[in-house]
Amino acid sequence: MSTQFQPVRRSNWYLLTGLLLGLSLGLVYSWVLNPVKFVDTAPAALRADFKDQYRILIAAAYQDTGDLARSESRLALLGDPDPTTALTSQAQHLLLAGDPSNSALALAILAQAIQQKAAAGVPPAATSLAQTTMLSTYPAGTSASALAASLTPRPSPTPSATPGAPFAVLKQETVCKTNLPQGLLQVEVRNATGGPVPGAEIVISWNGGEDHFFTGLKPELGSGYADYKMAPGITYTLQLATNSASVSGLTAPGCPAEGGKTFWGGIQLVYQQPEK
Amino acid sequence: MSRWVKFLLAILVGLAAGLLYGWVISPVQYTDTSPNTLRLDYRADYVLMTAEVYHADLNLDAAARRLAMLGSDPPAQIAAQALQFGHQAGYPADDLQLIQDLTSALQSWQSGSGAGR
Repeated sequence: MSTQFQPVRRSNWYLLTGLLLGLSLGLVYSWVLNPVKFVDTAPAALRADFKDQYRILIAAAYQDTGDLARSESRLALLGDPDPTTALTSQAQHLLLAGDPSNSALALAILAQAIQQKAAAGVPPAATSLAQTTMLSTYPAGTSASALAASLTPRPSPTPSATPGAPFAVLKQETVCKTNLPQGLLQVEVRNATGGPVPGAEIVISWNGGEDHFFTGLKPELGSGYADYKMAPGITYTLQLATNSASVSGLTAPGCPAEGGKTFWGGIQLVYQQPEK
Repeated sequence: MSRWVKFLLAILVGLAAGLLYGWVISPVQYTDTSPNTLRLDYRADYVLMTAEVYHADLNLDAAARRLAMLGSDPPAQIAAQALQFGHQAGYPADDLQLIQDLTSALQSWQSGSGAGR
């Protein structure tokens, strides 16, 4: 029996090995050794907490300048789907967290100004795609502020709820609706122009207790709306935390229901700041 | 062609594919960045906002804290850079004046407090 020479079969697996090795080296180089450096980013790419700080700064600057167009342009840079909602939501979170600064108020005032402008039928500058694009693709020689300044003159500040005459009770009535929670105290706060006042702090007290709640926490019911669930049989006194008349003797009323029964109704209260 | 040459060629092809994937097909997404990475015009506008707020409240500490978000440089230097950019970009005179006021105040504040040395 003779031994026959058998040629060694060489597979091509080494090529795949080399390919994978090269791929790994490429990814290590592009992701680890020489990663992309974060430079020249836009505000829209900021981390959420930095966006919050940015929004507060925009709102604070608006308080000084009263330039709504410029504020809207700046807000547009953050890329929020709905800048007003973002402002209101942040204001609510700050209020709930007990933020001692005036940031929540500043945010609420800016949100209110944008809402009022939209309600007046003026196209909001912040949602102008052309302007947003121009701002986000900065050409030499222009800037966000310069562009905003060139687009619109500085308007006068939007009327806000803070200074001015004390809020007065415009309306107080009993509400007997079975589809509402029993003992619901609904409060609506309006400014001198009749617009909603978000972020208004309301103080409610009773014999042996006190609580605080805020307008705007249920935006679906209006940014000037707030409610509180009264316990039956307890008499409450209510007023805004600053600059308002107080309403005393508030108690959940008994309302007639079918079959001669009764249920606890609610109260609707509207505060409005009188014009000067 | 020897097996070693083919092996090296395969590595090079893989390397190219890796770089292509890492830099082109799936580049790094720009999310969750910090303000110190903002482009120069956005940084300048951030400084302008700070200057506008400072104009109203004259709170230099708060202004310096806000500018500190733009990096580790002294706040006066950050403001000065924004001022320089503002001149180049044709900011309105009112805005330039606001940034100038903030820059001057921060420079005095730093030299007085020793900050930024």
